[in-house]
Amino acid sequence: MATDIQISIVGSAGDGTIAAGDILRNALAGMGYKVISFDVYPPEIRGFGKCIARMRITTEQAYSLKHQSDVLVSLDDSHAIPHAGELRDCGALVYEQKSLVKLPEGGHMSAHVGPGQLPYPVPIRELSEKSTGANRSRNIVVLGFLAGLFNLPAEGFRKAIGKKFRNKAAAAEASEAAFKAGLDYAAKTFKLDDVTFGPPVSSVVAGATVEMINGNAAIARGALDAGIDTFFGYPITPATSIMERLAAEMPRRGGRLLQTEDEISAISAVVGAGFAGARAATSTSGPGLSLMAEMLGMGVIGEVPSVVFVSQRGGPSTGMPTKTEQSDLHMAVYGGHGDAPRIVVAPTNVDGCYRCAGKAFEMAEAYQTPVIVLIDLYLSNRYETVVFPARPPFEADLNRKPGKPAAGAPYKRYALAADHVSPRAIPGDKGNMHVVTGLEHNELGRPNDSAELHTAMSRKRHEKLKLALNHPDFTKFKRFGDEGPVDVGVISWGSNFGECLEAMLRARSEGIRCAAMKVVMLSPFPTEAVAAFMADCKEVLVPELNYQGQFANLLQAHVAKPVTRLNRVSGEPMKVEEILEEIRRLAGRGKTAQKAA
Amino acid sequence: MANAKNARHHVVIGSGVAGSQAAETLREREPEARVTILTLSSLLFYNRYDLPKVFRGHRDWREFLAFPAEYYKDHRIVVRRCSRVAGVDGPRRTIALEHKEEIRFDTLLVASGGRGYIPEELAEFRPLMHPFASYTEAVSAAAVVPERGHVIMLGGDMIGLDLARTLVDTRHRVTLVAGPQTFWPHEVTDDERPGLIAALEKMGVEVIESADAGGIASIEQGARGLSARRVLFKDRTELYGDAVMPFFGLSPSVEFMLGSGTDIERGLLVNPALRTTGEGIWAAGDVCQIWSDAEKRYRFYYGWKNVRAMGDLAARNIAGGDEPWVPAQDEKLHIGSDGKIQSPFWEYE
Ligand SMILES: Cc1cc2nc3c(=O)[nH]c(=O)nc-3n(C[C@H](O)[C@H](O)[C@H](O)COP(=O)(O)OP(=O)(O)OC[C@H]3O[C@@H](n4cnc5c(N)ncnc54)[C@H](O)[C@@H]3O)c2cc1C
Repeated sequence: MATDIQISIVGSAGDGTIAAGDILRNALAGMGYKVISFDVYPPEIRGFGKCIARMRITTEQAYSLKHQSDVLVSLDDSHAIPHAGELRDCGALVYEQKSLVKLPEGGHMSAHVGPGQLPYPVPIRELSEKSTGANRSRNIVVLGFLAGLFNLPAEGFRKAIGKKFRNKAAAAEASEAAFKAGLDYAAKTFKLDDVTFGPPVSSVVAGATVEMINGNAAIARGALDAGIDTFFGYPITPATSIMERLAAEMPRRGGRLLQTEDEISAISAVVGAGFAGARAATSTSGPGLSLMAEMLGMGVIGEVPSVVFVSQRGGPSTGMPTKTEQSDLHMAVYGGHGDAPRIVVAPTNVDGCYRCAGKAFEMAEAYQTPVIVLIDLYLSNRYETVVFPARPPFEADLNRKPGKPAAGAPYKRYALAADHVSPRAIPGDKGNMHVVTGLEHNELGRPNDSAELHTAMSRKRHEKLKLALNHPDFTKFKRFGDEGPVDVGVISWGSNFGECLEAMLRARSEGIRCAAMKVVMLSPFPTEAVAAFMADCKEVLVPELNYQGQFANLLQAHVAKPVTRLNRVSGEPMKVEEILEEIRRLAGRGKTAQKAA
Repeated sequence: MANAKNARHHVVIGSGVAGSQAAETLREREPEARVTILTLSSLLFYNRYDLPKVFRGHRDWREFLAFPAEYYKDHRIVVRRCSRVAGVDGPRRTIALEHKEEIRFDTLLVASGGRGYIPEELAEFRPLMHPFASYTEAVSAAAVVPERGHVIMLGGDMIGLDLARTLVDTRHRVTLVAGPQTFWPHEVTDDERPGLIAALEKMGVEVIESADAGGIASIEQGARGLSARRVLFKDRTELYGDAVMPFFGLSPSVEFMLGSGTDIERGLLVNPALRTTGEGIWAAGDVCQIWSDAEKRYRFYYGWKNVRAMGDLAARNIAGGDEPWVPAQDEKLHIGSDGKIQSPFWEYE
């Protein structure tokens, strides 16, 4: 039996909501299920804002979260009540049986259980207090209850709990007691919902490892596996944990990481390190990328390999720091002064984060340019089970060919070569002294602003990037669904693609001829492939999480065919149903199409 | 249609036959009103007389529901499941739920039915018995009785005897330890009893008369590895079975009404229009004792047809009517020409 179950845990900051979600997804991934998960945090750093841990557990690969959950757990009714409607009929609603304080009418979850949903009031606090002497372990009681209700192996949970509290003996002991209390309570509970876990299916090849990991962790791991040795950065939500992970790992591997005073210093130091031959990177979010714009131009004109990981959030300005959005595409691709082309790649899932992060270093060096890896909060915080190959699929800096000038001749660091990629020496390469400057320069790197040179150098800087469209072992775009002509084609990018893919697959199952294309490489743009795809589509739909339709703008700058835009700026991932409804409408099916007719 | 702002809030305690019928009638009569049902049940309303079907292999609760979930959405009837009423404050018109929520009402209908009564001397053995009053209890009981297994029924009432009919029909062995409640709620004379007992035996039920069960023990050698039960009688004889099921009639669920300002005897006392002595509070179903002018006493009326009619009448009166109670079914138990027991209790729709 195939498993496809979504669990949401809703609570207040301090309830251990995210920790419970973390243990649950690790336990389930450890049992062999595929997990995709996305947590929501409150914008306030302190206080009692809402936290949600949502995860979809499947045997077949899933691409997005579902619109409705099969199980909803409330650790705090005041936050969870607005989400009660997200539980499907015949799904399980688990909540605290009894309040400590008097409640007005409607203040308890029982008032919001829909007639089709199944209520499970559990004395969560009482079980925690009885088993541990404190109410802190309510989140773990709930895990025990879920394990018992759904007949999941307790051992898997115990392992995940043990891992979580590895260095905290007292917490581990309390958690074990609380887990058992929840488990025992479930044994006395009559199961009425129809949520059933089938056996997990393992399809992992020998040597590979499966890990539950989020987008930021995958970026860090990709960077490490690609041999990053230098990192400069300044913390900013939602990118911070990339730097935190690297800070823990890099010193152990002989790398260097420094928190600079701001983003301008960070990118400046990265460009400096790249110039010196290091595999260097920084990470930031939209506001930080704005500050880095000037120095990225320096990287472009100096042709210095440098990597910037950007996780977008709701903007502009401080905007909505804990909400997701895809509104920095324009800035990533075009931002800055002058004609400053750079490579921009946007992974669409967590596995893609790993691959893009590693490949970014290869491409930065191969084409001597800054590379931006563009993700967003939804991908930063989204957990997926990722299969890591036995050997990292990234190359060391094989492409650096400093060359040797003829005796007595000066070193032409910016030689106008046929493929537009010049030899690249680094400081210390004997006999290859040269100048690197932010001024326009000649082949030697010496300042020169002649019309011919500026034209030739501009062409060189643009043309060499096109080589990245053929960069080996790297997915720049991919088509899914029906081959050949289709009624509707969905094109999207970044974190939003999972929802698009899911919607397209559902539309196909309804008999609509359709296909989807993900575009990972945003700059240089894979025009030929995208144009060919669009030529196959009667209608093209471009869903994305920004107001202007930034990707649609980019697309239309390259392919002259009208598209239908679907833009949302709710701060949340797009709903599969919304995309599906739009596909139906474009295909002349469904409610909206009928209404329009 | 949304509920109007100043519409009345009708609260019904109980989602059984009486409460559910009342909610439907209230919705019909007052389309604008808020109608809320409070219930202990985790399921929406189902007919309890259907429960013996669990021994015919029907174990999915969806088959038992009287109405689908959409019915409640369409009728704008809010059903608050797993919500135990802890107290009612009549003068303040508020209900306190056990989980600490307070609900205001304009009118209240108490239709909280009754729960299985267990004689005091057997109370300590409650954990070893399998009651049969709700869907979950019915499924749990069916789960421990194997094919052709042996059920020991203590007491026996018309609910138990109805189940016995199904058990015999599904080739289970049934032993009835008879007692004063064997034909509850029918009142049976000493003359009628032997004939009725004989009819039960003819039906295939083994009847033990005049033996008092003094204890129950769990034993391990049940069929299919399930634990089983041993009933010890006061005369030191023993009986082995797969499950022991108590059927001693029902006692009204009124404890939360103590202190509400309404009169209570065994059940809630109501006038023929089903009004209690508390302002704005009515009662219907197994929980209430209705004044009978003919008999000059307050009395219970049992059976689902009566109970449904009470729910309907109470709602009509809440909505402004003032009609008196007229029983909807007769109460006579007799033996038919085929030699089988016939009870109006067992006439389902
Ligand atoms: C197993 C079984 C089989 C039966 N078979 C038959 C039959 O064949 N024929 C027949 O005529 N009759 C039968 N009956 C009896 C008949 O079902 C009852 O007369 C009828 O159910 C009474 O209905 P009611 O609405 O008054 O109360 P009930 O159906 O008992 O419902 C009481 C409701 O009140 C709720 N409640 C109780 N206390 C509280 C509280 N404190 N807070 C909130 N809610 C509360 C309960 O959750 C429940 O929803 C059977 C009963 C049972 C249990």
